[in-house]
Amino acid sequence: MDFSLSSDQELIRSTARKFIENECPREIVRELNRSEKGYDPEIWRKMAELGWMGLALPEEYGGVEGGMIDLALVMEEMGRGLLPGPFFPTVAACSFPILAFGTAEQKERYLPPIAGGEALWSLAVTEESGSNEASGIRMQAKAEGDVYILDGIKLFVPYANMADSLLVAARTSEGLNPREGITVFVVDPRSPGIEIDLLLTTAGDKQCEIRFSRVSVPKANLLGEADRGWPVLELIQQRTALLKSAEMLGGVQAVLEMTTEYSKQRIQFGAAIGSFQAVQHNLVDLFNEVQGLRYLVYEAAWRIDAGLSELSAFPLISMAKAKANQVYQRTCVDCMKLHGAIGFTEELDIGLYHLRTRANLALGGDTRFHLDRIAESWS
Amino acid sequence: MEFRFSEQEERFREEIRDFVKAELPPDWALGMFEEGDSDEEWAFIMSISKKLSQKGWLTMTWPREYGGQGASGWKALVYAEEGGYWGIPGTGMGVSGVSWVGPSLILFGTEEQRRKYMPLIAAGEPDGVWCTGYSEPNAGSDFANLRTQAIRQGDEYVINGQKIWTSAAHQARWCWLAVRTDPKSRSKHEGISIIIVDMKSPGVTVRPIRNYIGNHHFNEVFFDEVRVPVQNLVGEENRGWYQLMRSLGYERGGVAARSYGHNKRVLEELIRYADGQGLTARSEIRQELADVAIDIEVQRLLAYETIWKMSQGKAPTFEPSRDKVLNDEILKRLSTVGMDILGPFSQLRRSGRALKWFRDLGGVCSLYWNLIGMSSAAGTEFTQKNIIGQFGLGLPRSY
Repeated sequence: MDFSLSSDQELIRSTARKFIENECPREIVRELNRSEKGYDPEIWRKMAELGWMGLALPEEYGGVEGGMIDLALVMEEMGRGLLPGPFFPTVAACSFPILAFGTAEQKERYLPPIAGGEALWSLAVTEESGSNEASGIRMQAKAEGDVYILDGIKLFVPYANMADSLLVAARTSEGLNPREGITVFVVDPRSPGIEIDLLLTTAGDKQCEIRFSRVSVPKANLLGEADRGWPVLELIQQRTALLKSAEMLGGVQAVLEMTTEYSKQRIQFGAAIGSFQAVQHNLVDLFNEVQGLRYLVYEAAWRIDAGLSELSAFPLISMAKAKANQVYQRTCVDCMKLHGAIGFTEELDIGLYHLRTRANLALGGDTRFHLDRIAESWS
Repeated sequence: MEFRFSEQEERFREEIRDFVKAELPPDWALGMFEEGDSDEEWAFIMSISKKLSQKGWLTMTWPREYGGQGASGWKALVYAEEGGYWGIPGTGMGVSGVSWVGPSLILFGTEEQRRKYMPLIAAGEPDGVWCTGYSEPNAGSDFANLRTQAIRQGDEYVINGQKIWTSAAHQARWCWLAVRTDPKSRSKHEGISIIIVDMKSPGVTVRPIRNYIGNHHFNEVFFDEVRVPVQNLVGEENRGWYQLMRSLGYERGGVAARSYGHNKRVLEELIRYADGQGLTARSEIRQELADVAIDIEVQRLLAYETIWKMSQGKAPTFEPSRDKVLNDEILKRLSTVGMDILGPFSQLRRSGRALKWFRDLGGVCSLYWNLIGMSSAAGTEFTQKNIIGQFGLGLPRSY
């Protein structure tokens, strides 16, 4: 047993923290939230130079061949600094399924540009039902000769407005089990028949509606096998749940730190409000939760790095995400309240964290979804 | 980072499981209390203490010269975890002996005290059973407010006063007693000393306290002109409070691991039973169990983290309090959902003509009723949160 970070990991963490503090202070975060693109290509380029996009990809595809813990540490710092941009959809959601299910040619073609920061990807799974379950995927893909014809609507596709490529899940056959008959495609968002609209979100992050009208996708663009797309989505589910949990961990730590600090400074009734038990015990509850979340995330990441079976990692990942969802929401709401009325203003950073709550909960699976996944692992 | 035990530690885990199979009855149920509910239970518990001692496990982390094995914190953690999972009784020698009397004597005791008391505990002897006299009627959470007095007269201390909520006092040979030796000290934290009292001394009276469901675990202990040789003072006179504070974290290191093992077992029993009754098909039951399962994994990780910090030579400060708050929360949730799963059967006692209808499920019935009182032992939730606020978050004192 060893709960310490290696010196390399310490370096990854401190570099990431410094980089984000310098390159993307809160004024920039606010500016990017208001902008059309939602990210800064210049910051993105520097992130690629630091090797972040390929941090957990093999060297042969331009990666650094680090582990999931390394990537989790970077995501944690992104959550702390609220760094906006397409890192999550590109790296967390799309790079790993390409690595695991792509043909040699697909990997060769798609991964080096991701690692180099030249290609932005996004994931189009969610539809009108808003559900993470397989039954939520109703979009049709019909085989016609050498192509599939895609028809339907995808929602909440992060940064699709900037994406160079999309992973799209669609239904290629109907069966009794909704997990069968799903196929994952690599789709060029500039294909004829695709229309993309920005959804206006409360957090200002970029999420899109994509309308597919008789969009033709070559059969060579299947990721994995036809009708057997569920394992691809499973892997995406697990990587996104884990890495979103890491990002949320960074966010709650920042919120808790700023609120603890505030409770030491703010004087009422002649004393720091942090000396009042009602305030102090509330902070303690959050502090305890954050410590638990931290090790759920790290151990889940470690299980993947240690090459233990996906089965061993998956309940822990679901535990991490369910816990992250609960703790993130609670920390943001409680800490805004602990600030009093000032916590409710646009001026303070704390609101920026809370505005991300709903996107954070949805991406990688909501709490009820993951509680059911944990229960599934018992049988 | 590395979240797994060494092969050696895993082999030791198997050894403990073999011991459980050989020495505990096949229908051995999880019990909450180290002291047992009756004389027969206590005799059985002591017989297991003896066997644990023969294995060298009872006091494994102590130095060899005092009956230990100098075992690592990780080995002790595996032992605690399995002990909790299988409900191995007799691991504490009346709670105090193994957990804090021995370790405190190593820190503050004289060589003579170590040689006299520690081997008796390590041997699993009835004369190695201890109780601890800290709480008093007016010194609960504010434990430094204690009044029991020890006045030095020549080569002896003369003790007068009363302790309360004393676990295992009716079984203990010795009392690890906190007393006031300087009534004129400037602050209440000064002037406290730790004195070892033979429970057979004239003037010691133990009176049982029955709790609201009729169990006897706690006692009142009265000291009336009890004479104790000055050699029984532990450490420095009037520095008892500071000694206690220093040893407190170390004393509680293994508690969280035992709790984790226990809770994991209870959860497994609940899931098995609920599944058998078709109750996991109900989403509110399934999701509540899954939600508690998360906190039990958190408990495992935080218990390990505490041991890891100690293995790095760092003295724990707020961690044992954190681990206790979490454990109380888990026990509350486990016992509540457990009783819900049991439905009307949750009302039955373990005895009587309708015993065939009694369903225990990892002791949740006992847990549900007793937790309310047991959670305040060793510090209420509120006291623990004060400690975490001060030492974990660096906030000002709140009381």
